[in-house]
Amino acid sequence: MRNFLGKSVAVGVIAALALTACGSGREEEPGGSDGNAKGFAANALIGVALPAKTSENWVLAGDLFTNGLTEAGFASDVQYAGASTTVADQQAQITAMITKGAKVIVIGATDAAQLSTQVAAAHQAGAKVIAYDRLITNTPDLDYYVAFDNFKVGQLQGRALLDGLKARKPNGPYHIELFSGSPDDNNAGVFFNGAMDVLKPEIDKGTVVVASKQTDVKQTAIQGWKAEGAQARMDQLLTSTYGNRELDGVLSPNDTLARAIITSVKGAGKKIPVVTGQDSEVESVRSIMAGEQYMTINKDTRNLVRQTIAMVKALQAGQTPEVNDTKSYDNGSKVVDTYLLPPVAVTKANAAEAYADDPKLAPLTR
Amino acid sequence: MSRAKDLRKNLFGGTTSNARQFGMIFTLVAIVVLFQILTDGLTLRSDNLIALFQQNSYILILAIGMLMVIVAGHIDLSVGSVAAFAGILVAKSMSDWSLPWPAAVAFGLLIGAAIGAWQGFWVAYVGVPAFIVTLAGMLLFRGGNQFIGNADTIPVPEGFRVIGAGFLPEVGPNTGYNNLTLLLGLAACAAVAWREVRARRTRREMAADPTPTWISILRLAVMVGAIVFASLRFASGRVGTSFPVSGIILVALVLAYSFYTRNTAGGRHIYAVGGNSRAAELSGVKLRRVNFLVMTNMSVLAALAGMIFVARSAASGPQDGNGWELDAIAAVFIGGAAVSGGIGTISGSIVGGLVMAVLNNGLQLLGVGTDRVQIIKGLVLLLAVALDVYNKRQGRFSVIGGLTRSLRRDTPTPAAPEAQRAPAVTKVPG
Repeated sequence: MRNFLGKSVAVGVIAALALTACGSGREEEPGGSDGNAKGFAANALIGVALPAKTSENWVLAGDLFTNGLTEAGFASDVQYAGASTTVADQQAQITAMITKGAKVIVIGATDAAQLSTQVAAAHQAGAKVIAYDRLITNTPDLDYYVAFDNFKVGQLQGRALLDGLKARKPNGPYHIELFSGSPDDNNAGVFFNGAMDVLKPEIDKGTVVVASKQTDVKQTAIQGWKAEGAQARMDQLLTSTYGNRELDGVLSPNDTLARAIITSVKGAGKKIPVVTGQDSEVESVRSIMAGEQYMTINKDTRNLVRQTIAMVKALQAGQTPEVNDTKSYDNGSKVVDTYLLPPVAVTKANAAEAYADDPKLAPLTR
Repeated sequence: MSRAKDLRKNLFGGTTSNARQFGMIFTLVAIVVLFQILTDGLTLRSDNLIALFQQNSYILILAIGMLMVIVAGHIDLSVGSVAAFAGILVAKSMSDWSLPWPAAVAFGLLIGAAIGAWQGFWVAYVGVPAFIVTLAGMLLFRGGNQFIGNADTIPVPEGFRVIGAGFLPEVGPNTGYNNLTLLLGLAACAAVAWREVRARRTRREMAADPTPTWISILRLAVMVGAIVFASLRFASGRVGTSFPVSGIILVALVLAYSFYTRNTAGGRHIYAVGGNSRAAELSGVKLRRVNFLVMTNMSVLAALAGMIFVARSAASGPQDGNGWELDAIAAVFIGGAAVSGGIGTISGSIVGGLVMAVLNNGLQLLGVGTDRVQIIKGLVLLLAVALDVYNKRQGRFSVIGGLTRSLRRDTPTPAAPEAQRAPAVTKVPG
């Protein structure tokens, strides 16, 4: 037995030595966090992690990123999260991008607060992280944020809703209902607050009445921005509150929910109210031209992607990317340098002008 | 007996089995090698291996519990929701009642036990099928998660994050490696060597043919080599990283539960109940108690998995746990469990889970989108089980059955010695 033990230990030691010999110890510490001064290779890998393909916008953004980054000479890796296990998917995708050595990782977060471990890992690996459209919270390692001015989006929606109501019926009181986006999306609250910034004075005056009395962001939220959620909530509101009342307007945070709301109202055989929207989805632009949905917001994804790629290029050249807001976006750990793009409100009246240079939407407005 | 057969028997143990029983392990190795080549060496790089374990430890922990549930002839659809429910309560307990994090972990396990007792009561004592009870639980606890969390995302403190995203500390002299990971590897090598020695002694005591010394040494060399390779990989990641804490929790659970299901009366009862519950009951197995414990245990592990995910994500969110039950169930079936119960091993399920995990990771490294990854994973699950069913119907050797037969009394790496020793040990009066 002793003989056997001796032999096995010997084998173990030899195996260990053999493997140590070919292993090389700790991997090289990459780039470091202040790699700004140096920039990186012009054909480096740029990772783009986007949420599940639940709206046209994300699909379009993904295509634009793939083309734009390739055109700029970078290698691109654009990934979408899966439909059911979104957060875990995105975490794994970002980790894979870090492993592959991506120099910049652009993240459209599925859940704003659940990515800090991955963002920290990217930072330690020397990659820059840009939050795209949705601010990533609870992490000091986020580098930049690029988005449309979402508070302004909310304000535009609120104002358009009031304009639409007046245009239909010169005098109030108007009955409206409020919808907001997914509570795990940082932007949902911003849209809602922007809209309430405009609507609240009118509600207080009594010219606008939320008949269901559901005015809290938690009561109005639609989990996961799901159309079926909005449709179900609208169905219930119509049954509970609008049996013998006219519904004049609905504040909807985006186009997908707006169309679900309109479907619900049509199903109940009611007159379609003034419904707001956002994102300029094809179906909603059609709906606006047909006089159903009242308005949408044009946040031209092309511009947002173009701006993001411009930031990537600046980082590549070793420069500091241009930002225009260094005060407003506190993610809980730091104030993130931000580039904000202005949104545009679109109704049937200005649709042709707003979408003039959009190859997909322009034909619909003629 | 031909020389080749003799060799095989000595290498893999058992007389009726042959090398095919290790089909799934070979599949895993083949997938790893394939992706290692396709990704140009990224798959086996330290940081990727570490990430792989961190990303999948919670699913593998669920697979342990799910294996026992499935062996007992049930199914648990509620694990994702239970994990999410426990996760949000634990996050709330720390943010709202400022519970210190170790207390919060204990609190989370208690919640799991309570939920498990609730579901176990309906399954074991009322006799509602587990499918229905846990389908109800899936809705119940998903709703509970959103009710308590207001569908919000709640961050958790730094200390708590260790169980999901933490690493072993750097101690001792600068060796160019993480010293504690190396020590763990050394301990694993010693344990493997000790088992081999003990197996040889048992064989001699039982007056069985002793395994030729060179076979023992070869077997040991392969295992020690694998352990050394793995620990060097895990120890050589970026400074500050090591074998992840969640991986250590997983390994500890795998060892403990493998021992329980293989070598104790309680563990064997689960197989007896799943194989033939009437016969088991007539032989004195307390049917209700076994069912109750299996369901309770599953929910405790689900709560643990939920906490590890929350810790890794640094926050508890409303989407936590979506679809986890399906991942865990898939791992168990790929790992060779039978839908009708009574067959399956912990180690098989872990290997099954790792096959899915490596597939997922490799495809992501290659930049394949989630849509296609899902299609591929679905096909792998179907084919793995279909192949086995087909083989059984043809009256041929069942890969998965064979795999399980040998692995049922075994852990994945130190395969053979245990199988030889097992008959002497597992005859616990029951």
